[in-house]
Amino acid sequence: MRKLLTILCLFFSLTVSSQCVSNQSFLISSPGPYSPGDVVAVDYTLGTFTQLNINWIIAFQINLGVGWTNLIPLINPVGGGTQTGYWLWDLQNTYPSGLNFGPGWRFVNTGFVPDWGSSSTGPFTMRFRVTVGPTCTPDDLSISINVIGDCLTGGWNNGACCNDPAFNIYNGNVQVVTPITSNINHY
Amino acid sequence: MKKLLTVLLVCFGLATYGQTTINPDTVCVNATGEQYFVTNTPTSTYNWVVTGGGTLSTGQGTNSITVDYTGVGSGLYPNAIEVIESNAANCPGTPVLLDVFVLDLSGNVIGPFCPGDPTTPLVGTPLGGTWTGTGVVANTFQPSTAGVGNYVLTYSMAGCNTTINVIVNNGPVTGPIQHF
Repeated sequence: MRKLLTILCLFFSLTVSSQCVSNQSFLISSPGPYSPGDVVAVDYTLGTFTQLNINWIIAFQINLGVGWTNLIPLINPVGGGTQTGYWLWDLQNTYPSGLNFGPGWRFVNTGFVPDWGSSSTGPFTMRFRVTVGPTCTPDDLSISINVIGDCLTGGWNNGACCNDPAFNIYNGNVQVVTPITSNINHY
Repeated sequence: MKKLLTVLLVCFGLATYGQTTINPDTVCVNATGEQYFVTNTPTSTYNWVVTGGGTLSTGQGTNSITVDYTGVGSGLYPNAIEVIESNAANCPGTPVLLDVFVLDLSGNVIGPFCPGDPTTPLVGTPLGGTWTGTGVVANTFQPSTAGVGNYVLTYSMAGCNTTINVIVNNGPVTGPIQHF
């Protein structure tokens, strides 16, 4: 009976939420805090993508706070494993599952298995650049990355989706500088 | 030498950065070209708002403006001068305000006098100012001190002035008594 419960629990946990990413790291060009006009480059590395239940990696989504603007890709992820295709920079894409993706990189299969993603398990390294937009309010400047498997996008339909939490790179707000005016003088 | 330099530096610093205007500020009725300013930041712009009847004459957008008060009645005008500074990123600072009191002075009408007339009080409105001029002693007019003539007496307060004219006439000159 205990063995059966253990097996059921293990199965249940795998089907609800599983994690495929590990060994994530980043480098950021300056530590912050940031003011309007500051430009920041981010290097992100996914060390390993564990292909749980044959989930393959298919997209890297960059999540930015509203204070950022001018997101530019600098270095694309490399590697498709045994799959033919390429990593495409895209601002928005709706997958067959209805998942609204973007901005970020997504793997475009050019072989016989569309929408499966890359069979590579990493590592993946990429770089992008963002600029703090003009503002007078302390807008959100968070940066995080979601790694998305093809189970979430509809390319693989065998349960046990890789549903990893966003990897946090930066948390903070725009450093707003407002002028301090002296008292009014009268000659 | 070091003491002299210290004194000069202190004086220069006060002259450059000192806050000289007390709130409320006082201007004279019908004054023109009154200059208001805040410390300048070269990359900032300044939006001034003048209310209460004053008219912004020159300098909008800069750290220094001139205001005319022609035809503005006397009294206190709260928040009559307002400035909002915006920095290079166009972010506004906190508004800075200044109340303005428009001062209208007047003096009582006195005379004409004869040289021997008694001392007469000089009354200015509002009270608290100072009278100056020929024959004025402690805010009174003494015809005997002034002597015969036409005089302009000045009433002053808070940098504003008003004047009145006073005449001291000759008395009659009576000859000696004759006996026919």
